[in-house]
Amino acid sequence: MDIAVEEIAGGITKVVLRGRFDTTGAVVVELPFNKIVTEKRKIMVDLSAVSFLASYAIRVLLVGAKIVNGKGGKLAILCPENNVSKVLKTAGMDALIPIHRTESAATAALES
Amino acid sequence: MSTLDARRLVLRNDLAELQRLAGWIEDWARRDVSPDTSFALALCLEETVANVIMYGAAEHDRLEIVVELERNGGTLVARVEDTGRPFDPTRVPPPAAAASLAEAKVGDLGIHLVRSFASGMTYERRNGRNRLTLRFDESQARLSG
Repeated sequence: MDIAVEEIAGGITKVVLRGRFDTTGAVVVELPFNKIVTEKRKIMVDLSAVSFLASYAIRVLLVGAKIVNGKGGKLAILCPENNVSKVLKTAGMDALIPIHRTESAATAALES
Repeated sequence: MSTLDARRLVLRNDLAELQRLAGWIEDWARRDVSPDTSFALALCLEETVANVIMYGAAEHDRLEIVVELERNGGTLVARVEDTGRPFDPTRVPPPAAAASLAEAKVGDLGIHLVRSFASGMTYERRNGRNRLTLRFDESQARLSG
């Protein structure tokens, strides 16, 4: 599991996750991810290159969204329609965290 | 019921074992399992085994977790047996939908995911072991759309 951070236009921090976001992967990214959500206010989490998502990964995303939301910031997920997206929807995350199919839609949501 | 193909993996209650489990499923699923079924199988087994590892025993107690897979025509059957404390996931109620992000409860999603991604789930306690049987019907597209 890899995590890369990039600052993009609009004051948005893009967090790109790659690989299997399983229990093992979630344990690896939990600490760096928590640091980002604590420091930044507009965050796009790109799951396009994530091939697998487990409940522990959802916990990491949900805790992150709660932290950002709690300080008046925004967190959006970028995720194409696939099994990872189905896991997010089954877990009810689509009602809590905005999930966008394209980077431009995610950017527009974060800038609004 | 004819069993065409079966395989067995024995794990300890250590989170590092989840990687071994994932590799094993991937090898197995490479043989004529659709990508969607392979994903559902990997997700359900990861969640089930992670639950046993995290909650099945007191910290220093050793557990044995046995995972078996078999294919029967268009159906895959996965069985997870463990020597941990009795736990019936089929009796766990589905999580309540949260009204807002602030109110959303963290955790308790694993069993809900298993119930949603498997075609069927049955539990029995036998000879001091938990035994969970998960069924995946290849012909039936789960959660399509």
